[in-house]
Amino acid sequence: MLIDWFTVAAQIINFLVLVGILKYFLYGRITRAMREREDKIAARLEEALEREQEARQELEKYQKQNEELARKREQMLAQAREEAELERKKLLREAREEVDRAKARWHETLAREKDAFLADLRQRAGHLVFEVARRALADLANADLEEHIVRIFSQRLKEIDADKLHVLHSTLQRDRNVVIVSSFELSEEAKETIAEILRRHSGNNIKLNYRVSPEVISGIELKIPGHKIAWSLDHYLESLEEDLRSALEEET
Amino acid sequence: MDVMRLRHISPDQVIFWQWGFVHINATLVFTWVIMGLLVVIAAVGTWKLTSETRISRWQNLLEVLVAGVLQQIQEVSHEKPDRYLPFIGTLFLFIALANLLTIVPGYVPPTASLSTTAALAILVFIAVPAYGIMDQGLLGYLKHYIRPTPFMVVFNILGELSRTLALAVRLFGNIMSGTKIAAILLAVAPLIFPVLLQLLGLLTGLIQAYIFAILAMVYIASGTRARRQREQKYQTSPTSLQEENTES
Repeated sequence: MLIDWFTVAAQIINFLVLVGILKYFLYGRITRAMREREDKIAARLEEALEREQEARQELEKYQKQNEELARKREQMLAQAREEAELERKKLLREAREEVDRAKARWHETLAREKDAFLADLRQRAGHLVFEVARRALADLANADLEEHIVRIFSQRLKEIDADKLHVLHSTLQRDRNVVIVSSFELSEEAKETIAEILRRHSGNNIKLNYRVSPEVISGIELKIPGHKIAWSLDHYLESLEEDLRSALEEET
Repeated sequence: MDVMRLRHISPDQVIFWQWGFVHINATLVFTWVIMGLLVVIAAVGTWKLTSETRISRWQNLLEVLVAGVLQQIQEVSHEKPDRYLPFIGTLFLFIALANLLTIVPGYVPPTASLSTTAALAILVFIAVPAYGIMDQGLLGYLKHYIRPTPFMVVFNILGELSRTLALAVRLFGNIMSGTKIAAILLAVAPLIFPVLLQLLGLLTGLIQAYIFAILAMVYIASGTRARRQREQKYQTSPTSLQEENTES
């Protein structure tokens, strides 16, 4: 018989004892250690994952900040550019205004000079015309121009219209001083003629003062306070001046 | 030097001490040696266990062994392997060490004794219903015998008995024959050949240990699988009903 039942029973007991011992010494300990290690590794992995997450969040934060900075920089640059452009336009406008002002000044000066020149020209022309007219009158009629002037002035004084006469009359009632301004020295005869006419108009007691002034061009003026009766070349010269002015303006 | 003579088929026949029915033979002595070795290795290997990532070589070896056994159980049973580990793991370690020690001169493997293999097979024979009843209760397990019809009861019981017998005889036959052939060859051609045969013996010894443990696991798993199959049937039945309805 190959099977010894006592040995079978003993081996069953032996094996069960071995199972018990190994369960305590080997399987329990080893599986516990393995499980603990697995837990530790899992915990470490989790921790690493968390750290990675944190790092990624940090990275995102910094990236956002960088973007913010870049945007601000861009904004500031744009603002500076805009301001520079405004400044440039302002300077340009100021320069243009300056140029305009200078131009206006220049125009003004030019106009003033033109006016001065015209005044000067008028005066000279008056004198020349007076000279030319006198010479021409002297040559042609063999008469003194001044005599003619006095005659024309006397004629005007005689033929004075009613309104002016009234004014003259009422003025001479208050103030009896009459000033006669002429461009040349009047002869005694001429002075007498003028006085005679005035006396006829306003009575004997008027005081006549005679004065020579180069301002009056080739003529005689009678001045009472507030009024004036005159004949001179001024009238003709003024039209000449007008013609000259228009001629000059056409030129410029 | 040799403990066992050539005429002895089993180490049971080498009796060192006897007192009536009780006797101590070579099988028991060598079993104790193996048990002692296993316990010492386990105790020394787990002396300074650590759960850190740097571990000692002994711990590494033991962890590889345990993890390998756990993986094999998992593959066979498709369940959490922890509760089968002590039984299946000890079966494998005991048989493997018993067979591997044959390279030590004078050693006789206890697995070459039909008494030992019968003891282990009986333990498996008991473990199958034990795990089954733990898993699904006594009635639930007993129903397992009348599937697919009550007529199959006899065949189911016969199947369990025969596979237990096969388990015992397979291991005994392999190891005993290996030992005997080695001994005979040693007598006929003492050089070289016995070495080759012993190398072959190591291989078959390890394979036998693996086969024994795996088959034990398969039997246990088949005992506990009945309930899971029923549960799966319940889970799938509503959908299958629906399918039938749509088809009709």
